[in-house]
Amino acid sequence: MKNRLKVLRAERDWSQADLAEKLQVSRQTINALETGKYDPSLPLAFKIARLFGQSIETIFQDEA
Amino acid sequence: MTLSSKSPTPLGSSRAARALVFAVVGAPLGYLVGKYLARLEDAGVWTAPVLGWSDVLALFLALLLLGVGAITIIVSASRETLGRKIDPEGGRPATSVQALFYARNGGVLALAGLMLAAPVIVRAVLDPVPPLIASATMIGLLALLLVQIASNITVWIQSDELMRRATAEISAVTFVILLGALFLWAAGEKLGLLPVLTLWDAATVMMTAYLVIAGVVIWRRGLAS
Repeated sequence: MKNRLKVLRAERDWSQADLAEKLQVSRQTINALETGKYDPSLPLAFKIARLFGQSIETIFQDEA
Repeated sequence: MTLSSKSPTPLGSSRAARALVFAVVGAPLGYLVGKYLARLEDAGVWTAPVLGWSDVLALFLALLLLGVGAITIIVSASRETLGRKIDPEGGRPATSVQALFYARNGGVLALAGLMLAAPVIVRAVLDPVPPLIASATMIGLLALLLVQIASNITVWIQSDELMRRATAEISAVTFVILLGALFLWAAGEKLGLLPVLTLWDAATVMMTAYLVIAGVVIWRRGLAS
């Protein structure tokens, strides 16, 4: 699954650690999400969407 | 600043310097200890214990676990150093919750190493092991196991979803692979095709498989970066 997390984070000038702190996850989780090594759970996806004020579909795109 | 934009020279050279110091100190020290033990054996004062392959493997794993556990505990003792490890970009000091989490992780690893080494060392030093010492060791191991289980549960509760996912994957893959491998070995053993494995051999193989699979999952999930 592709995502725009890195772009959205860069637009706000947040580091991975900043975003991790806001989402209450580890920096490694943010890194894994950005590099496509991990797809978030639905609750985390909703949390990310709420934080950036966008819908889940605009942040995450199914590659299929 | 991204990680790739940092010059690797200072970190690389300091690692090389440390490795050189360890090699320069460790090699002669190991040689001298070995020579001293050989002399004791020649004089009949001490007999080198005969260790099976699973004992050697267990001691190797124990040293690895103790080493990684000790390094994790030492690093987590300094919130500045831990902060640089957790967030190389920002380098903010770690919070007390993070420091405690990593220290607990280190403790769990070190405890596992201690538990793995204890039966081999007791058996190597005292063979045959007197029943009282064997019972005391067993009670100690049981107590350590209970502490480790409690620590593992705490680590699980404090982990985020990626860490829990990785832990679950490691456990599932280890179970499936070992279920098949141990069944095949047991069948071969029953048919007289393969040598007999002791429970200690099987436990050591299981621990090795768990650590190797953990390394692969951690790498695949990007937890090491």
